[in-house]
Amino acid sequence: MKRRKFTKKRQNSRYSKLNLFQKPDVKFFKSCPFSGKNAPTINYKNVKLLKKYISESGKILPSRVTSVSLKKQKELSTSIKRARLLALL
Amino acid sequence: MNCYEHTFITRQDLPQSQSKTLLDKYEDIIKKNSGKIIKIEEWGLRNLSHIIKNNKKGFYFHIKLEGDGKTVEELEKAENIDEMLIRYLTVRVKKHDLEENFFVEQTSLENKQK
Repeated sequence: MKRRKFTKKRQNSRYSKLNLFQKPDVKFFKSCPFSGKNAPTINYKNVKLLKKYISESGKILPSRVTSVSLKKQKELSTSIKRARLLALL
Repeated sequence: MNCYEHTFITRQDLPQSQSKTLLDKYEDIIKKNSGKIIKIEEWGLRNLSHIIKNNKKGFYFHIKLEGDGKTVEELEKAENIDEMLIRYLTVRVKKHDLEENFFVEQTSLENKQK
């Protein structure tokens, strides 16, 4: 009995050949923080949220760093620029 | 009819009596040009993140309104001449959200700390 259990475990392990057709356990990419359920909406008045997406010197962070999707990055950059105009950021 | 959000910043040395007349003045302009005011928010005196026209602080006023493009045009024409204003911004939105206010909490927190 013990031996059978051992072989079963081996098949499901990460390095078995069957694993090629299955989903990996580890995620390789972060998902976009603004899409999905309960995601915050981007607004030029929400200074607290926007501050996460600018660097120390006030530049807009690229989406490859923050993993924001392309559509949301456009929204984000316009709202950051609006907040800058009103001297909120 | 479109929905607009309008904010303007006045100078820091604006006397309190004048702030009301200033608001009334712009309300009149909106109402005359077939506009409709939905909500007015006063964010109070805030520190500017950078100096604008030798001002470090400013009073913020936020107006939510409905109207045509012409009402906004007339509003901005009047604000361009006004010397008490530092800056203004109009944003067109699809729908007004009247519940969220990002600047009320900050002022109440500051009062608690004092």
